[in-house]
Amino acid sequence: MWREISGRETGQTRPSSFHNRVKSNRTASLQLSNHKDIVSPHRGSINSLQVDLTEGRYLLSAASDASAAVFDIQRATDFQGGGGGIIAKHRCLFSVDKHHETGHKYAVSSAIWYPVDTGLFVTGSYDHYIKVWDTNSTQVVMNFKMPAKVYRTAMSPVATSHMLIAAGTEDVQVRLCDISSGAFAHTLSGHRVMFGVGDGGELMILVTADGVMTVEWSTSNEWVLVTGGCDGAIRFWDIRRAGCYLVLDQSKSQLGRRPPILPRSVLNKCSSSKALSVGQSVAPKSRVQQKRNAAGNGIKQAPASRAPTKGPQKQRLHPGMLSIQDRATAHYGAVTGLKVTDDGMYLLSAGSDSRIRLWDCESGHNTLVNFETVRLQTSKPIQLATTDDSILAFVPCMTAVKAFDIWSGKNLLTFRGHYESVNCCWFSSKDQELYTGGNDRQILVWSPSRLISDEMDTGPTGDRDNWSD
Amino acid sequence: MEENGGKVRILIEKATNSTAAEVDPRFLKAIKSVVRHSDSELRLAAETLMDLMKRDHSQVRYLTLLIIDELFMRSKLFRTIVVENLDQLLSLSVGFRRNYPLPAPQAVAAAMRKKAIEFLEKWNSSFGVHYRQIRLGFDYLKYTLRLQFPNLQANAARIQQERREREMRTKEILLNKFETLKENFSSIKEEIQSTVDEIVECLEIVRDKGESLMPGPLDVEDEEFEGFHSSELRQIRLDSLKEGEKIHESAENKVVFDTLRELYKLLVSKHMVSVQEWISVLIRVELADNRSRDSMLKELIDTRNRLQSTKKKCMESGCALPDPTKNDREEEEDFWEEGKIESTGIGSSSQPDELKGVLSAGSTCAKVKSDASESGDARTEFNDPLGRLGGEAESSSLRTKLLAEAPSVRTKLLAEAPSIEWSSFLDNWGSRVVLANQRGLELDNHWGRVDPDAVIPAKKIAELNLHSTVYKEDRDQIQPCRAPLRKGGLCQRSESSVCPFHGPIVPRDDEGNPIYQGTPTSETTVDLGADLAEQLAKQAVKNVRDRDNEESRKRKMDKHSQKRAKLAKIREHNEAVLKDAALASTSRSAVIGEDVERTRNKKETLASMLRKKVTTKDRLAQKLLNTRTSEATVRQLSLGEDTNYREAFPNQW
Repeated sequence: MWREISGRETGQTRPSSFHNRVKSNRTASLQLSNHKDIVSPHRGSINSLQVDLTEGRYLLSAASDASAAVFDIQRATDFQGGGGGIIAKHRCLFSVDKHHETGHKYAVSSAIWYPVDTGLFVTGSYDHYIKVWDTNSTQVVMNFKMPAKVYRTAMSPVATSHMLIAAGTEDVQVRLCDISSGAFAHTLSGHRVMFGVGDGGELMILVTADGVMTVEWSTSNEWVLVTGGCDGAIRFWDIRRAGCYLVLDQSKSQLGRRPPILPRSVLNKCSSSKALSVGQSVAPKSRVQQKRNAAGNGIKQAPASRAPTKGPQKQRLHPGMLSIQDRATAHYGAVTGLKVTDDGMYLLSAGSDSRIRLWDCESGHNTLVNFETVRLQTSKPIQLATTDDSILAFVPCMTAVKAFDIWSGKNLLTFRGHYESVNCCWFSSKDQELYTGGNDRQILVWSPSRLISDEMDTGPTGDRDNWSD
Repeated sequence: MEENGGKVRILIEKATNSTAAEVDPRFLKAIKSVVRHSDSELRLAAETLMDLMKRDHSQVRYLTLLIIDELFMRSKLFRTIVVENLDQLLSLSVGFRRNYPLPAPQAVAAAMRKKAIEFLEKWNSSFGVHYRQIRLGFDYLKYTLRLQFPNLQANAARIQQERREREMRTKEILLNKFETLKENFSSIKEEIQSTVDEIVECLEIVRDKGESLMPGPLDVEDEEFEGFHSSELRQIRLDSLKEGEKIHESAENKVVFDTLRELYKLLVSKHMVSVQEWISVLIRVELADNRSRDSMLKELIDTRNRLQSTKKKCMESGCALPDPTKNDREEEEDFWEEGKIESTGIGSSSQPDELKGVLSAGSTCAKVKSDASESGDARTEFNDPLGRLGGEAESSSLRTKLLAEAPSVRTKLLAEAPSIEWSSFLDNWGSRVVLANQRGLELDNHWGRVDPDAVIPAKKIAELNLHSTVYKEDRDQIQPCRAPLRKGGLCQRSESSVCPFHGPIVPRDDEGNPIYQGTPTSETTVDLGADLAEQLAKQAVKNVRDRDNEESRKRKMDKHSQKRAKLAKIREHNEAVLKDAALASTSRSAVIGEDVERTRNKKETLASMLRKKVTTKDRLAQKLLNTRTSEATVRQLSLGEDTNYREAFPNQW
């Protein structure tokens, strides 16, 4: 530590590398913080956590008891414990719950900050509503009625020319809600109703949920939206164009080879069948069926998969919509979590098949990094987190949160503290702190271990060896 | 280091491999001392303990938990290690995860659960500030799962609070009492003083009268007498003198005595008690200003002393005797008791009146003495220890006769009576029935309703009282050796058969020569020498005669013996067969019994704790719920139905 500082002083170390080194050191030493408690006002499981993107100071949490709360994570509300209050308690600044006159009726599944400032935040709930709140007056300023339960809402952190809330719901169509107009701007259809168990071949993962579990905006392009559905597909949408332009296929993994330039625009059928043919060895049975469907070009659709398009099946689709027919899957079972790395190059996805996959956003290839997961929660969407330098990924694995090295998939740290399943985590790269929320109603803070000098002032009533004999 | 590591692991494993409800303190001590001296040991211990917690046996987990608690309270490093996996530890010890219930045996599991919750609370109160994990676990169990925590600390605080309140209340009461005392102090003092004064006056009046009764020269005479008599007699005389000094109640001073008695009663029952009470109040009360209290205390103590001295005076003067009638009764009682003791010795006395008369002469000498103290001749009579009263001579002779007769009756009865060793059954000797619930314990309201008239039937009592007596050989007197010693005298050593110095004990005459019985041995023949020929001749004749006799007898016996031999042979054979059978059976049964014993005595193991006890219900279930029985039942039932059906619809089957 001191050597690095002296290196910085003499100019041997460059400021940015010094900065990064300290940051990664701190990140590597994360542990359950004893000095920072977030007092959760929630009486249900925590479903989503987000620290605001502008100040990095206010933590927004959404819980199953139809409440959302905001905490100041920089300044504690009160202190507790002997010897001058070593435990800083962070109580919520305010919370909105069922008793609020315009509050949600059922569980709030997602709460996000308006990316530009902390004056607004957006909540999505199982009561089919997406509400936009004014933070200062804690009043609802806008209401979007969705056709089904809302699983996840997302706003683009890089958007400059639109204010769209992407909403993944129990419905298969992804809707974009425009705050400026108060209406649905887009309806993106492409995800299908979860196919039957038999259709999955040897896969017997039964997901009761349906629709789109998770949505995520690209961090590099304000027009690109990524959605993960219960059908196991991850679709990339360019919201300026019709249809999705990319469907991730778990079996397409040859990074070096770029797809031919022409196929998508000219020969859709060709491209889709070609894409599918690559990975036939992995799951031949399902592939065969899909191929047959794809070859039939919509004529022989499986009865379970309702086509979102209302027209007759034989009608020729708009060229942009042809990717609808692409049945490639990114996961067996539902896609429960998505996270685009901060540079927008890679996408991390988690599925109910207890796999985490890393995708190359540009080509849509599976990078085949093997993450040493044990088990993931399957019934609920989970919220992943990455460090801003894209080195560590934090993944809720049942009652623990695990930190993986993104590029090797090695499990570097395991954070055990929750007594029930963890649903969400958020890494604040400013303070190098990790916040996790779980079904046990707790929001835990994981912070870098303090310096030794801090450890000393625990007071005379400290925690010491006490051998009687 | 490596082998040391093995040590702590082995220690822990040994400590937890037991069926006891506690960890062996020696093991615990050893573990602590090993672990204290090295961190690596501690890490290993923590690892081992966590492994043991995963064992599928509640007993192992329970003991492990106890060890964990011991180390947890002591070592910081251990805390930091354990706290990392606290959720696991809790789920293994409390069993709050539904898919990981606590393993068998259930009883131990319940105990462990309770203990674990208790420990968690303890840990939280002492280390919760330093470990977020402990706080989290505690909060989760308490507020999410809503487990019942024993709340030891809160309870302790509450008890403390209650005690403090009680103390406050008593203090207040004392203070109030003190205040009232302060107000009434002078009046109380006056009252007491007046009573004491009255008593003193009364005593004086009585004393004056009494002195006039007592003649002066009597004392001088006494001293003369004392000069030449034994000390016992002197004592008796002194007593009698003292007795004589006492003023006795008579018709003229009856009024004074009555007053005195009343006042005495007042003094003892009221004033003494109240003064004592006030003193205790003063001692206990806490005041800011102690001066008034101290002065009051002093005065009260003085008052008490005065009261006591007055009481003593009253007692001494004898006029404060509680009641003359009571005194009489006491004497009566004494007398009766003594009479009873005598009568038991005699057995059934046919003339109780006479006996009583006799006994009164003996036992109430004190009374006689006191009566006699006033007359001189009576005194002289008592001074002579051997002297007998003329009037009483007859009765005393009767008494001696009776006393002489008594032992003979008694011994006669005793000789007849069976002797029984003393034991508790003698309590109910001779009673037919015994009350079951009258054993001195207050059973009512303790074990529910109790029938006080419950009776143990006589048969049962007889059965319970059946006592066996063990035959004891009467020790016959051991004869001394009596062999002549070199320095003269006889050996007095008494041994049962062989004297260590003089060989086998044989009967000897007064000089110590052995008395020979039967034929003389060669030794004697050498000794006798001169009579040898005669002796030999005699012997020869005797031998011949003997031989003749023998031969004739032999002939007679031959037949008998042959017969007997045959019988003996048969008997022998029978016995052998029986013996074999008996041996075989006993040996087998003995082995079996031994086996059973061994299994029963074998130390209870962990596996045996897991084994389920087969209850009556299980056995019944096994019998009733097997396929054959259930099928038979079904068949039987359906058969009945079938017949019904057939009867109802005869044309349809």
